[in-house]
Amino acid sequence: MKWLKLVRGELRKLTTTSMPWAFVAVLVVIAAINAAAIIWGTDADGSKAFISTAEDQLSLLAFGANAMLITGLFGAIAVSREYGHGTVVPTFLTTPRRTRAVLAQLTAVFVGGGVLGLVGAGLILVTGAISIPAVDYEFMLSAGTVTRILAAAVLAGGLGAVLGAGIGALVRNTGGAVVGAVLVLLILPPLAVQLASGAAFWIPGTLVSVLSGVVDDPGLPAALLALAAWSLVPAVIGLAAVQKRDVV
Amino acid sequence: MHTLEFENVTKSYGDAVVVDDMTFTVQPGRVTGFLGPNGAGKSTTMKILLDLASADHGRTSIGGTRYRDLDDPARTVGAILEANAFHPARSGRNHLRVLADSGGYPHDRIDELLGLVGLADAADRKAGAYSLGMRQRLGLAAAVLPDPPVLVLDEPSNGLDPQGIRWMRDLLRQRAEMGNTVFVSSHLLSEVEHLADEVVVINRGKLVASGAISDLQQAGTTVRTPTPEPLSKILEDAGATVEIHEGALRVQGLAIAEIGERAHEGGIVLHELTPLAGSLEELFLGWTALETSDEPIVEGVAS
Repeated sequence: MKWLKLVRGELRKLTTTSMPWAFVAVLVVIAAINAAAIIWGTDADGSKAFISTAEDQLSLLAFGANAMLITGLFGAIAVSREYGHGTVVPTFLTTPRRTRAVLAQLTAVFVGGGVLGLVGAGLILVTGAISIPAVDYEFMLSAGTVTRILAAAVLAGGLGAVLGAGIGALVRNTGGAVVGAVLVLLILPPLAVQLASGAAFWIPGTLVSVLSGVVDDPGLPAALLALAAWSLVPAVIGLAAVQKRDVV
Repeated sequence: MHTLEFENVTKSYGDAVVVDDMTFTVQPGRVTGFLGPNGAGKSTTMKILLDLASADHGRTSIGGTRYRDLDDPARTVGAILEANAFHPARSGRNHLRVLADSGGYPHDRIDELLGLVGLADAADRKAGAYSLGMRQRLGLAAAVLPDPPVLVLDEPSNGLDPQGIRWMRDLLRQRAEMGNTVFVSSHLLSEVEHLADEVVVINRGKLVASGAISDLQQAGTTVRTPTPEPLSKILEDAGATVEIHEGALRVQGLAIAEIGERAHEGGIVLHELTPLAGSLEELFLGWTALETSDEPIVEGVAS
């Protein structure tokens, strides 16, 4: 199938530069910081109450929201650099039907983002499982909870990458795409909450927390749909922008 | 066999008309040079052919079919449009692997092609460390990777050393002899003179000349006569363009036999009547220096 070949080509693009490894390095650093915080960090009263219950540990180790932010940057860079380096030209020559080409790009970054989310969550959980007992607390997360954290991070990572890719296709300049992804994922949500407190249920951080099981509202199906909308709206706008635009 | 057709193609960016009502064809089995000064509209014309840019008016086709409607466009047309269309951190080999994966081509040609273009030893180095000539060679390898019957190459000899230019020339000639369609833009006139069978010349987005180089190079006549002014008037009245230089007339737009007959009818003595065989460079400078008119100055077999 031609489209699967395109996806394969896009995946090879992602795996034949050092960019994914740079993101893995960032994930390693985050996991190390998290472990250091567990070992040396305390609450205001000097206790380690922040890891004393299963809920606390879940809240600390659920990586989905961070995964979405990081893979948002990953998707933005992965797609915008295609325009910056001109490597989108052979892509559109192979597939002049640009919808197919962009869908292949989005699929590849979804997979790449999902893998980064999995790696990030895995590193956080492994370092958490080692560092929590090291300070004489029990690692209390069940296998089911760990699985849910990993699944949430995979989904959030994939959707974050698609969101970033949409912004990258729209903006095309890597610096601008990164700024756009940070705006959408980091700056705009708290501003929206300040304007309307009810928006707090619908910002990416809350929605991913629902997927991870950290909070319950607005419910899993609604959270899935809303998170998909956060991801797909920029992707569809990027897809539409690419259709008629000259490649110069 | 794939003929490239451009019919009344027009493209503007804002108020600037980049391609202006251009009509010509590029025949298979020939190497066709695409000449024009920088900014003449060559790259835009090629991008319109390959559906990377949209024309405001007119249409282009490859073997009668628009690029985007071809069954397998990348297997039909190999193209170089940007000398630096590589990720600088990706190796040359991996660049070709990406293209092979996307197009569904076998990987077993990659090593062969890297050897053919002289990049076997540099195949695993990052493309960002390549010289311009090496990037052009990698671009050529990418263009011929699926063994396409059509090549559309924008300035492929930029940065190539003399051996590289010779190698590219031989490759393109070989492809044309196999019946392939080869359309090559260049501003290196001497290179085109050696490489191409036909040329299409544009200036300020307009077609100014096209045809077989051998025909175009004889697209004028030198006439010597003791009475140049009366003969000049007679020939201009017949529709020719005449320049008088050091007592000789340079006549364009009238066949040599007709010049002789008009002179005879006017009772004018001729001392010389010689086909003008200028270099492509001389002709090119003449074409592109003139204000473009609605009709090509010289129209040959390619139009």
